[in-house]
Parts: sequence; structure tokens; C-alpha cells
Amino acid sequence: MSSTIVAEPRLAAAASWVSTGARLILGTVFLVAGGLKVIDPQSSVTAVRAYRLLPDSVATIVGWGQPFLEIALGLLLIAGVATRVVAAACAVLLMLFIAAVISAAARGLSIDCGCFGGGGDVAPGQTAYGIEIVRDVGLLLLALWLVWHPRSRLALDRFVGGAPASRGQQ
Amino acid sequence: MAAEQAAARKRDRRILIMMIAAFVIVVVVGGIAFQAWRTSRAPSAAPSAAASASPVTITNGRPIPLGSADAPVTITLYEDFHCPHCADFEEQFRPIITKAQEAGTVRVELYPMAFIDEGSLTAANAMACAAEAGFGQAYYLGLFANHTLQWSDPQLIDLAAKVAGTPSEEFRTCVTRRAHDDWVTSINAAADTNGVDQTPTMLINGKNVDIATLTPESLQTMINGASQK
Repeated sequence: MSSTIVAEPRLAAAASWVSTGARLILGTVFLVAGGLKVIDPQSSVTAVRAYRLLPDSVATIVGWGQPFLEIALGLLLIAGVATRVVAAACAVLLMLFIAAVISAAARGLSIDCGCFGGGGDVAPGQTAYGIEIVRDVGLLLLALWLVWHPRSRLALDRFVGGAPASRGQQ
Repeated sequence: MAAEQAAARKRDRRILIMMIAAFVIVVVVGGIAFQAWRTSRAPSAAPSAAASASPVTITNGRPIPLGSADAPVTITLYEDFHCPHCADFEEQFRPIITKAQEAGTVRVELYPMAFIDEGSLTAANAMACAAEAGFGQAYYLGLFANHTLQWSDPQLIDLAAKVAGTPSEEFRTCVTRRAHDDWVTSINAAADTNGVDQTPTMLINGKNVDIATLTPESLQTMINGASQK
């Protein structure tokens, strides 16, 4: 669990604050994205179906469950509990999202990613795959940063036995 | 001593991660159950509509007319009862259109397309049944007011009961037997022929309206303008 930036205490402190920022940004984005989708299960299912990757019954379960997964991960990130594991789960999820959007673009589908609610088919000129992918890659970088440097300030990890070694314990 | 501490920490960590995994699983499974309940419950909203419209004949390839036959403005609508953007569209613009229908200015020609899921199809079929039975307008509003439902047969019949009183045996059979399946297929085909490739699509007196830039005010202006010609 030792991080590579411990040599210079000041750098380590700065990195911890960067991690705090990453945690809060990523957590808020997940929480908001999940919250916007959870209110309209029908839209959420429609958004998943629009990718035409999953059989209908599976798409329904994903459409219902995924928003709750995002909310749960968002809350855990904001609280700062088991940051490395949660961030890794977010990274995996984001990689799946990116792959799904790329596959939609590659197959010439005209859909809205449905990342923040809405979703489904749109007119051919109204796709925004580029922006969607760039945004998701940005979030993926935040998640990967947290996997690499999970220690952060203002996190519950500091008070729980499960935390990676905190600075005082080195 | 240090080794013992390290072992204890490792154990704590494993327990914490298991607790978190359990938390996430409970949230997700509970969430799925919650959404399953939400989409399969009885329709709740039953908007009132002064729609003692006369029964309509369902003809293959032809839309459902809603409103006065001699209204000066015809609004053609292509919608899927499960398309999220259609629900947004209805929420934003429905009051204006309904008002104009009731004033006798507008007649809606509805093409209920079915391409999103099974519920799109059952709802479109039931919509035709309701129009045939003479409560098309009220049913139409009810379908969109409850658009998060999956539209099983009992839900569709329940909705009819809520908007128009106990439905006739004829209506029930029409819903459960999917009496207008062929008509729904013909509507999809007609939309295709008319070059409609997305829902909602709206035409005012045959002219396509850009919904992306539409506001309630601009819609009102368009209706007023079209009715004066």
C-alpha cells in the first residue's frame, strides 16, 4: 500500500489534496449522473437499449440498476471510504462507458450517450460522441489517479482501520 | 508486535471492503426491485380532458385524429409512448396544444410509432382502442402522464378506467388481443414513407417544425399564424 510520492513530505501533502479534489469531483459527477437517471427508469432503460449491445431483458436490469450503482459509488467516493477499491470500480465502469460509446460511434448509431439522463436515438447530426468520450476519459484519469494515490484529506479512510497507511503512521 | 498490527490492519481492511461490497450490492439490488415496482404499479396520474370526442375509425396507415375535424390548423405528431424526448415534449408543449384543441383551432393527427420496446407497441395499440371507443384524447394524455410505466395489459386497462370510467368489454379485448397490431405496423411504415426518422416529429399544416429550438411562446405564435391563413 505504500505510495511512491512519500519521499518529499510537501509533495505528498499536495498529492493528498489533489486526491481530495479528484474524489470530490468524480464522486459528485457519479452522484449527479446516477440521480438524474434514477428518477426516470423508463428513459434509463431506453438509453441502455439504444446502444443495441444487450438483450432487452438484460438492458432493463442494467437500466434500473446502473443509476443506483453510480449513486453508491459516488457516495463512497465523497465520503472517502476504501478509496482505492471504489476508484478502481469507477475506472472499470468508465472504461465500459467509453467502450460502449466508441462502439456506438463505430457502428454508425445515432444515439445520445444517456450519461446524465435522457439518452436514446437522436437525429444523425445530433450526436456528440467526441465530447462524451473526452469527458469520460477525463473522469477515467481522475479515477486512475485515485487508484495510484488513494490517500487524501477529508476522507473517512483516515479514521478507519482499512485506510492505506496515513502520513502519521509511516 | 508490528507484524501483529499489520495483520490486524489487513484483516480490518478486508472486512471493510466486504462491507462496502455488500453495501453496493444491497443498494443496486434494492434499486432494481424499486424500479421494477415503479414501472409495474398502477397508473397514478389521470389528467382530465374535455374529450368526449366521437369515436374514431382506425384505418391502416392513417393517423388518429384528435380534435375538431374543421379546425383550421392541423398538427401532425409522430411520437412513441416510451420515447423520453416525447415525454419531455409533451410536458412542455401539451398545455398549449390541448388549449388550442379545445378552442377548436387545432386538430392533432397522431402517429403513435412503436420502435422503442414492447410497451411502445402495447401502448400504441391501446391508444387506437381508446380512440375507437371515443376517449382517445384523455387516454393520450394519460399515457404520457404515466410514461414511466411499462404498459402491461392490466396497466393499460386500469388507465382507461381512470380517465374514462370502467372500460367496455370491447376495449379490454381490443387491448389484450392487440387488435390494432397491424395498424401500428402500418403507422411505422407510414412514418418511414413520410421520411420521419425520429420522435417526436411535429408538423404544423404539413410544415416540419424544429423542436430543438421550439419554445411554448414560439409554438403559440406558429399556431396563431397558421390559423389566420
